[in-house]
Amino acid sequence: MSYEITLMTTMAISVLFALSLNFITGFCGQISLGHAAFLGAGAYTSAMLSKADVPFLFTIPAAAICAAMLGAIIGLASLRVRHDFLAITTMGVGFLFVGIIRQQDFFGGEIGIAGIPSSGFGKGGFMLICIALALTFAAFSLYVRRSWMGFVFKSIADNEDVTRVLGIDVSRYKLIAFIIGTGTAGVAGALYAHHFRFVGPDSFGFVESISVLAMVIVGGIGSVWGVIFAAALLSVLPMLVQFIDDYKLLFYSGLLFAMMRFSPDGIAGLCTRLFSYIPRRVPDNGGNNR
Amino acid sequence: MTEILHVRDVTVRFGGVYAVQNVDLRINNGELIGFIGPNGAGKTTLMRVITGIVQPQSGRVFLQGVDITDKATHLRIRAGLALAQQIVQPLRALTLLDNVAIACGSDKTRHALKSMWVTDIRSERAQARELLARVGLSHVVDELPGTMPLGYLKRLEVARALALNPRLLLLDEPLAGLSQKEAASLADLIATLNADGQTILLIEHNLREVMRICPTLYVQDNGKSLAFGKTDQVMSDPNVRNAYLGVGHA
Amino acid sequence: MLYLELFIQGLVQGSIYALIALGLTLVYGLLRILHVAHAALFTLGGYIGVIVTNATGSFTLAMLVAMLVVGLAGMLMYKLAYEPLLSQPPYVSLIASIALFIASEEIFRIAFGPYGLSYQTAPLQGHIELFSGFYLKYAEILVMGLSTILMIALAWLSMRTRTGVAWRATVTDPDMARAFGVKIQNVRYLNFFIGSSFAAAAGVLVALLNNLVEPTMGSVASYKALAIIVLGGLGSIRGTLIASLLLGVLESFGTIYIGHLLDRDAIAFAFLILVLMIRPQGLMGGKL
Repeated sequence: MSYEITLMTTMAISVLFALSLNFITGFCGQISLGHAAFLGAGAYTSAMLSKADVPFLFTIPAAAICAAMLGAIIGLASLRVRHDFLAITTMGVGFLFVGIIRQQDFFGGEIGIAGIPSSGFGKGGFMLICIALALTFAAFSLYVRRSWMGFVFKSIADNEDVTRVLGIDVSRYKLIAFIIGTGTAGVAGALYAHHFRFVGPDSFGFVESISVLAMVIVGGIGSVWGVIFAAALLSVLPMLVQFIDDYKLLFYSGLLFAMMRFSPDGIAGLCTRLFSYIPRRVPDNGGNNR
Repeated sequence: MTEILHVRDVTVRFGGVYAVQNVDLRINNGELIGFIGPNGAGKTTLMRVITGIVQPQSGRVFLQGVDITDKATHLRIRAGLALAQQIVQPLRALTLLDNVAIACGSDKTRHALKSMWVTDIRSERAQARELLARVGLSHVVDELPGTMPLGYLKRLEVARALALNPRLLLLDEPLAGLSQKEAASLADLIATLNADGQTILLIEHNLREVMRICPTLYVQDNGKSLAFGKTDQVMSDPNVRNAYLGVGHA
Repeated sequence: MLYLELFIQGLVQGSIYALIALGLTLVYGLLRILHVAHAALFTLGGYIGVIVTNATGSFTLAMLVAMLVVGLAGMLMYKLAYEPLLSQPPYVSLIASIALFIASEEIFRIAFGPYGLSYQTAPLQGHIELFSGFYLKYAEILVMGLSTILMIALAWLSMRTRTGVAWRATVTDPDMARAFGVKIQNVRYLNFFIGSSFAAAAGVLVALLNNLVEPTMGSVASYKALAIIVLGGLGSIRGTLIASLLLGVLESFGTIYIGHLLDRDAIAFAFLILVLMIRPQGLMGGKL
């Protein structure tokens, strides 16, 4: 049972983290190659507060605020750059974060922070908290998709310049997407810290950022259900394929490549095509939701 | 007559080259002005100065008496401008209906945070349907732009601009790339919009249609104002004839 | 004296960066792909260099074989991986490229072991004393010399030959070049060949400097080279070369003077972000 609980907790945290990136990249079209930095900001905040005897539940909003504040700063700076320049800038933010953490004794330096106190809810209770938070954000994502904000996001993802000519304050919307997405990554970080009870600079590097982007894209960029499915699957895939131990990363990367090569719109796109023989209803709220 | 737009003594230099030099332009309520000039006359640059994509080195732009020179593009749109672009840019992921509906909802998209709490889109869709009907696209409202011919997308641009309920509609070469028949019918539509009270500035190369529908012409050449006035008077102006014949346009 | 030493070290590192980043720029300029798997070709070059040198004893032969084989591998990669994805949004080829890169690291590890390979008798390990107390390894001289020669050769090819002119025209304006009858497809292959063989040369040289090739040797190249081409202005060859040398020197000084605040990568990216905030289009990029 303990193994299943660990598995489910890992899944829930990954789903929350992937959905937080989906909010920025999937909804608003702003690619990020450094999203793990915000997971890290949340994780370090929560870890350090916990070590200072702050109760776990209070560290969650603190982690969210800390990550969102960092996100707001990065978001403001990122407004100046677009497309591939944005991708590399966000990648740079990731390296900068790890680089700073690594060199500061205050953050535990190279070694990181170990011995983070337990959440106090037991393994099962902690799992339920993780699942509840992931589901809440999933529901919120689905709602936003249907709102006017989601409508505008879709328009920005499609064509920023046109959206601006429609009288919409594109920068403001992008900034909000950034703040919500990074703040939620911070929450995922707080959960991460209390799941592993350890945080170190290597846990939030480039590889993590790429993995989470892979989850979003494999799921089908912007599709909430697709991203949930892909994040749940990809997060535990390494554990599930333990039996091919030496080849698991090769398997993972092969799968990723095959997905991009043969179904670039991800699992969501794959499903759409599989079920396309079912006659399409004209959606009463079509267009701005999925 | 109330003045809608006043471009006052605007100059734009790119490097050492004058793209627009000491240009003055006034547009009054209800007018339909054809804005013509040979290639390189600075038409697009002036349009970009009006929409705020290019900042002038000197001069001011007023919209309904308010100085908008330092305002961001989206604020100018909110102040009453709308633009149909020369290269059609539909939002490819949205249906034609939603392309227009998002512009209809400008009240709902004004405040980013508040827009999260609003989901109702019915009235905007209804309004969009009317606008699409007005430009003759009521039979394809649920299609995606990717499948539509250029003529339809040009009309979509116009409908989307109208959806912003502008005081001044800027049309940047709406007829370019259309067949003679399509161009004539879109020009008719533009004339109808104007007859219904819409103030329009029309940049266009298609002189035949411009002369047919525009009572007033504004001509620019080499970045300078060349002529402004009644269409037949302007067209008989030797300077204008020179500018056009000089570079091989008929 | 320390300054000069740091400066030279920076130039050596910068030359390696330049060789790697050049290929990336060529690919980006023509296809708008952030070609992360370029670093896999760099690693492949290093492995071929060590294996051929150990088998034949000739370093020169190893260099040539590495450049040729990796050049062809690059063309193959374009054909099999990128060409089918050209019509997709850019992040698709980016993720595909990252997947290829991870897969290649795994293949190197599985095929040649996790601890890497070394030269049996590493060539050019001696050094000369430029002036008292200041030594320069032969390998380092070779790095700077060979990079310079390769760059000059490329410049000559692109300026003086018909192929070169067609190639430059295509990189500048593909549509216009097509109108003049240039076969875009061939230019793309050429880009991948040249870019990949330069990366191979860099791989062989890095293997020489460290006397080691290992599966993960490409990881720095994978992201640092991206930073360099963005810094240079995406698609600008001149910008890429300047950015490479600049970053090499900057890192070299930075690790000594602000190393306690930021590690090497963070210094590079801090500089990148700083530049992009001032010039969002990069050092040499045109107006966006």
